[in-house]
Amino acid sequence: MPEVLEVSGLSVDYVLDRGDVRAVDDVSFTVGRGEFLGIVGESGCGKSTLLFAVAQLLAPPARVAAGSVNFQGTNLVGLTDSQLSAVRWRDMSVVMQSAMNALNPVKSIGAQFRDAMRAHGKPAKDEIEARSAQVLRMVGIDPVHLHSYPHQLSGGMRQRSMIAMALLFTPDLVIMDEPTSALDVVAQRSLMVQIKELQLAYGFAVIFVTHDMSLISHFSDRLMVMYAGQVDELGATRTVFDRPLHPYTHGLLEAFPSIRGPKIPLKGIPGNPPDMARLPSGCRFHPRCPHAVDKCGQVEPDLVELDEVMVRCVRRQDGSLPVTAGQEGSLSR
Amino acid sequence: MSGSSRTELLQAEHLTRHFKIGGLLSRRTLHAVDDVSFAIGEREIVALAGESGSGKSTVARVLARIYKPTSGEVYFEGKPVSRIRSRRDRLRYSGLVPMVFQDPFGSINPVFRVQHGVLRSLKLHRPELPGRERAAEAARVFEAVGLGADMLERFPYELSGGQRQRVGFAQALAMRPKLILADEPVSMLDVSIRIGLLNLMTELRDTMGVSILYITHDIASARYVADRLIVMYAGQIAETGPIDEVLASPRHPYTQLLLSTVPDPRAPLSVAAETDRGEPPKVIDPSPGCRFRYRCPLAIDACAQVTPVLAELRPGHHAACHVAQKAPAEAVKAFQ
Amino acid sequence: MSIPLSLGQPAGEPRRQSTSQWAASHALARMGRAVRSNRKATVGTVLLVFFILVALFPGVIAKDNPSADAYKPHLGLSTAHLLGTTAYGQDMFAQLVWGTRNVIIIAFTVGLATTAIAVLVGVAAAYFGGLWDSSLGVLIDVLLVIPLFPLLIIIAAYAHGGGTLLLIVVITVTSWSYTARQLRAQALTLRSRDFLEAARVRGERRLYIVVMEVIPTMTSLIVASFLTNALYAILFASSLQFIGLGDPNTVSWGTMLYWAQNNAALQTGQPLWAIAPGACIAVLGAAFALLNYAFDEIGNPALRPVRKRAPQPVPQPAPRPARGSERA
Repeated sequence: MPEVLEVSGLSVDYVLDRGDVRAVDDVSFTVGRGEFLGIVGESGCGKSTLLFAVAQLLAPPARVAAGSVNFQGTNLVGLTDSQLSAVRWRDMSVVMQSAMNALNPVKSIGAQFRDAMRAHGKPAKDEIEARSAQVLRMVGIDPVHLHSYPHQLSGGMRQRSMIAMALLFTPDLVIMDEPTSALDVVAQRSLMVQIKELQLAYGFAVIFVTHDMSLISHFSDRLMVMYAGQVDELGATRTVFDRPLHPYTHGLLEAFPSIRGPKIPLKGIPGNPPDMARLPSGCRFHPRCPHAVDKCGQVEPDLVELDEVMVRCVRRQDGSLPVTAGQEGSLSR
Repeated sequence: MSGSSRTELLQAEHLTRHFKIGGLLSRRTLHAVDDVSFAIGEREIVALAGESGSGKSTVARVLARIYKPTSGEVYFEGKPVSRIRSRRDRLRYSGLVPMVFQDPFGSINPVFRVQHGVLRSLKLHRPELPGRERAAEAARVFEAVGLGADMLERFPYELSGGQRQRVGFAQALAMRPKLILADEPVSMLDVSIRIGLLNLMTELRDTMGVSILYITHDIASARYVADRLIVMYAGQIAETGPIDEVLASPRHPYTQLLLSTVPDPRAPLSVAAETDRGEPPKVIDPSPGCRFRYRCPLAIDACAQVTPVLAELRPGHHAACHVAQKAPAEAVKAFQ
Repeated sequence: MSIPLSLGQPAGEPRRQSTSQWAASHALARMGRAVRSNRKATVGTVLLVFFILVALFPGVIAKDNPSADAYKPHLGLSTAHLLGTTAYGQDMFAQLVWGTRNVIIIAFTVGLATTAIAVLVGVAAAYFGGLWDSSLGVLIDVLLVIPLFPLLIIIAAYAHGGGTLLLIVVITVTSWSYTARQLRAQALTLRSRDFLEAARVRGERRLYIVVMEVIPTMTSLIVASFLTNALYAILFASSLQFIGLGDPNTVSWGTMLYWAQNNAALQTGQPLWAIAPGACIAVLGAAFALLNYAFDEIGNPALRPVRKRAPQPVPQPAPRPARGSERA
């Protein structure tokens, strides 16, 4: 089984009084064994909802409206909690955005590890202690902190203990929802390096959701860009970076002021992401796209493969925006 | 650095702010800001950069007169700020030195329409304006920050994060300020929206002559907007100078560390790159010596004994580091 | 998980109803819509309005004088006496209808007074802090610690026969501290919000900030407090009247229960005398409680009941050919 995860046609709706709103629209992707997939997008693009759907953590009013989440051959959609618990944490674990919200403030770290281990089996006491100490060492924390409470640890250490907890059973897939965004820049960088090192050493796959494209670019194998609930671009990280096909991806890359080189005025992407209850006609990005033409407002583009990358863009697909154009001022080379 | 001539718009001299923490039995002192001196001129954007615990937000709040300094003084237009007593003077100062906050979702009262803050600012600081002119001025200020006048009557929940931050700037502009204290104004915004706000800040400096103290932890955005840079660590200034100069050849190892964390999308990063696992300290009852020495690969004996002070290494470029001061002509190489 | 902002914004809709700064008119329109769409709110509002109308215009519904013992006692149900007559020959239906006024007055007066005092004390304590907080806090805590109902009984017994006004005063004085504590807690969390600091930095006076910036953001808690206090006022007042500590000559549901108890109504075949006022207390209490739940749900969409839908089969997409080029 070469793939750890295959998501097909996944759509997630929010059931609201004024009608259902589709937050995730027909998303498909795969994650191979030991692969690091970065999912990038800004607020409201649906990336967190997508993550929750994959981890089967959706709560009302959100629900899966269509599609499947095939984890190592089993479709997780529609499984009951007891069926899911066989998979949860053993084979697939989740690291949330803010450890302070995810960790129990009145229990020591060691106690929480113990709870997690007991929830998925009946390990002996010394097994628990040994494994807890081992995972803490894996993330670079002295095992003496098993007795510490979350508030006694620094922000970076808390996030690392979350990651340690996620690795208790050496899962095949670890899903991470912006685990570094609450940290300072130096801690962010060292945490990312740590995650990558662990991933290379233990061979688990990672799905990493973030809004910080520049940070993820150094660590992910493939990059998936989301906008307004859809996948707009998906391909090898280096390829997407050096040659972004979708104007949104290009716009995102251009929005990072550089630390070296000449200072040029940047434009960012004008406008705001659309209201998901009132989407624009045709391509969802066209009101903000510098290359938009009339056709972009009429045709809803599909996600199509173009030059080793999946892209959803009317003009790229019909050739009216050739691949070499639209990248003036690009950060590549 | 602490000049005797008080010609700059704002001058902070030996600013110190401590907080008492702990219960009755164990009183300790948190040194949020220690002996910080700097100046901000007219028509200038100064970036104050640092991580959490560096004291940058505390400095802003002292300048905004939310906190009184434990010691030291702030001079605004040559006059000491601590002498401001009467309500009229306080109001005048708060109009000339307003603050823009970090959280777009918490910095506007959700119950009122977005024009509420601007109209209140106008009522308090320009009471001579009659009602109709006040409304016109509110519209003018909204347009100046890139919001249409039709947005005046909207409620905060109808606006995006970027739009709300613009409202924050509009509230500050309504008071015709000389210096805007911007406390991480773009940190909580999406990346593609940040540029718009950063461009707005440079426009305010260029067309309205407003100075801005831009507080941030993101050096790249600091480079984009600021003229000068002040780097703070653990309550003290580590390095300061013209921004391009400091970033091109940083003298303080901490500045180097900050620079190394800025991801350069172009350069492939080797995962095994030297990474620093430390975190900024909470400075409680500190001992003398450089506060960065625990993380510094270049630390020498003097670093543990004597607290370094800012010294000019190149014209306008100061750093507080014993190692750098020993060899002022060379850039230190601590973190690659 | 919270609903992302972009799903809930009616962005682009211009608000043209009024130019008033305050959200009041806007809030009323929203409330109207919310009441109509939420079932609990609709039922609660209908019941409450019904009782208020009865309290305002009792003469329209019940033509008899409730206190006049002019009829033959122990009469059963009839068209002349919809609920029969009491052991003293009074028309029970008239008593019930006229008694509504007393109960509604108590509910609203106590509700408003308690909430008003609690808002002043609680928010002032939180916002002014320091010595204010310490002293007001002590006052609140002392009152909290004293068991409420025994205190009520003692005070009412001492002032026996004082009537409705005394009941209102007594209940208000003993119950405001609960709400004050809640409001103080919420005001404390609001204190650190940036928009309050922004108001301070732009030069607003402290009193202005408390009244115009803090309190309006606490409206949902204040409304909930009012509803809760009104509910408890009804229950406490009726209980006090039932045990004889109110003025037994007042016409009220609680006093009806008192007289019914005195005459062993349930045992001597006049069950309606006890059941009718008891049911009214329960229904009016339920109206307030339903409104309280409804306001919670309106304010916090996560609490709304999920509409049950027939489980739809999740459509599976057709199997796609393996995309070998996708992999890095």
